[in-house]
Amino acid sequence: MNSDVHTIARETIEDLALKQKTPSWTKDLRLASWEAYLQTPFPTTRDENWRRTVIESLDLSTLKALEFAPSTSGADKSFPACFQSVIKHFSQANSTLSGICYQGNGRPGYIELSDEAKSKGVIFCDIETALANHADLLQPYLAKRNASKENGKFALLTGALFNCGLFLYVPKNVELKSPFVSGIGISTCANTSGDFGGAIFPRLIVVAEPESNVSLVHLTGSADTAGDNDCRSLPASLSASMVDVFVSDGANVSFVELSQFAQNVYAIGTVHNEVARDGKFTAVNVALGGKQVKSDIYTHLQAQGAASEILGIVLGSHDEHYSFNTIQEHNAPDTKSDINFRVALKDNASSVYQGVIKVDKCAQKTDAYQSNKNLLLGAGAKADSIPRLEILADDVKCSHGATVGPVDPEQLFYLASRGLPEKIAEELIVLGFFKKVLDKLTVDGAADWLVEAVSQKIDDSGYCA
Amino acid sequence: MTSREPILVIKDLHVAVEDKQILKGVNLTINKGEVHALMGRNGSGKSTLGYTLMGHPRYHITQGKVLFKGKDLSEMTADERARAGMYLAFQYPVAIPGVSVSNFLRASVKAVRGQDVPVKEFRKELKEHLTKLGVKEDFLSRYVNDGFSGGEKKRLEILQMALMKPQMALLDETDSGLDIDALKTVSAGITALAGPEMGILLITHYQRILNYVTPQFVHVMQDGQIVLSGSGELAHKLEAEGYDFVTKEPAVATQSRT
Repeated sequence: MNSDVHTIARETIEDLALKQKTPSWTKDLRLASWEAYLQTPFPTTRDENWRRTVIESLDLSTLKALEFAPSTSGADKSFPACFQSVIKHFSQANSTLSGICYQGNGRPGYIELSDEAKSKGVIFCDIETALANHADLLQPYLAKRNASKENGKFALLTGALFNCGLFLYVPKNVELKSPFVSGIGISTCANTSGDFGGAIFPRLIVVAEPESNVSLVHLTGSADTAGDNDCRSLPASLSASMVDVFVSDGANVSFVELSQFAQNVYAIGTVHNEVARDGKFTAVNVALGGKQVKSDIYTHLQAQGAASEILGIVLGSHDEHYSFNTIQEHNAPDTKSDINFRVALKDNASSVYQGVIKVDKCAQKTDAYQSNKNLLLGAGAKADSIPRLEILADDVKCSHGATVGPVDPEQLFYLASRGLPEKIAEELIVLGFFKKVLDKLTVDGAADWLVEAVSQKIDDSGYCA
Repeated sequence: MTSREPILVIKDLHVAVEDKQILKGVNLTINKGEVHALMGRNGSGKSTLGYTLMGHPRYHITQGKVLFKGKDLSEMTADERARAGMYLAFQYPVAIPGVSVSNFLRASVKAVRGQDVPVKEFRKELKEHLTKLGVKEDFLSRYVNDGFSGGEKKRLEILQMALMKPQMALLDETDSGLDIDALKTVSAGITALAGPEMGILLITHYQRILNYVTPQFVHVMQDGQIVLSGSGELAHKLEAEGYDFVTKEPAVATQSRT
């Protein structure tokens, strides 16, 4: 197995560059991120952004980057159960999927693109293939934030070492009704060597050209979380991901994202969604597992009429910790953003939600909303909600709300009076709590799939069993 | 002829909520097939009796006991009571956002009947009840009591009662907030469900529902006790004279009518 891995070092970049049939600027791009990474201190809990994420125990020098093979059509379709379930749900709700991409370490990557998507000029492939075949097109989007220091240490590491990921490019005026489905699965539990933790660095780029319309479903997780209690004692592993979505003028992008890692995995994500004039971006971020799960989600509303709606679903159990930071940036007038994060925590799980609404001086008539509701199910569960407003314009509509508390005992009693035992009643209430948010999804099949994923985690059976 | 087989026996029941004594010695026996009305002013303890019988965790029995089908209720949780055949139609039904009426009904019917009902069969059964209650089918895909009108909430309570087929139904102010048409529909629903095997306790502030659902027995509660019991006629007297005369008459022990 050791031939499949790289330690995290500058040489890894040399190796990656040699291995890939990629243009020379790719290596420079990676090295620029690497240099910035070296100059950036390791975060501590004293950093505002990291104050409750326990990261000190993660020793990057013990990690080895897992290796992914490029995706080919006609490769092995025996996906892990969790990805099979994604395909099943979305295939049932849509006649044909626009595309399927699966990447797993130690197995061949799989790619499939519908005839319709092909004929309309859509590009949908893993990031390595994109570098080899579509370098010029990809370059400006990839380079834009790849070495940006404000993203912090882990995103810079991803910028240097990205070893899996996706490029989705939708040309002007192209509308595709059925979604693209993508998955990245890692095995960190069943690591046969067992003496080192694995690391993956997914890099996702989505570009929707003017007046296009597209939806993407993306799953990242441990492909072997069955009975994941045992994973806690295994060496710590890392997923550091970086996602950039570009929604051009009048384009409409829906992004459904689910992550579920085993309990030895630190999952750190940085997401930038950039929305141009009259563009619309809708996303749901679902987090169902990991040791420490942290995501910074930036939404940049760049021109008049840009709108975004971002939903969050977090279901934590055991000792899992979740930290979601959302930053709604209104950089132009008449822009609209809506954020709705719902968190339910079992056992000793904990969560911190920090939501910032930033309104530029020029962004008059901004309409921004932010809501964060937390249900504490476990006796040791803890949730914090920290909203922040930075408003420089004077004619705006901004509001936020947060709640933290246990399940309403009157709801439990009502269901009990209908014969439902407490455990079943609580599950029903929690699923309803999430369903209210998922109702806003317009991607056919998404709400059903996510409700099933969440209900399996509530049952503790583990999604990827 | 009623069988005179007691389904609910309440003996010297004292109940407190957070150290506040609300029920102060309630005695009441309800036999199979009987419809009892429990009347009284607001705050007299009527709803407390309903919640206590259903097993709300905030209501504590401090003295006395309740036998349901011969079994001591204090040993049963609310969900156990429901599965044993106790039903409370809430005065203020609780909203469960995100949970559809059909999912909720299927879950509770499964819990109460102890087995899954085949989807097709269940749909058919539901449809019949919906028609009787004058409710459209899209009701089923809405979320439980979420944004419901007063009339819709009460109809859902009766729909659940129809599906759960309880042996002892406690109907707490099921008439409140209903216009006359809704009241007629809901009352017809209750009357259709009543039968020789079921006991009903109608908790109500006003007499008007009793024009549609006829009780054999009427009790008046005041300050946590039943102070007056009588036949259905008593309700009309209360309607005519108000609750004031009750305080002037001595309490009639409920047992005396047996």
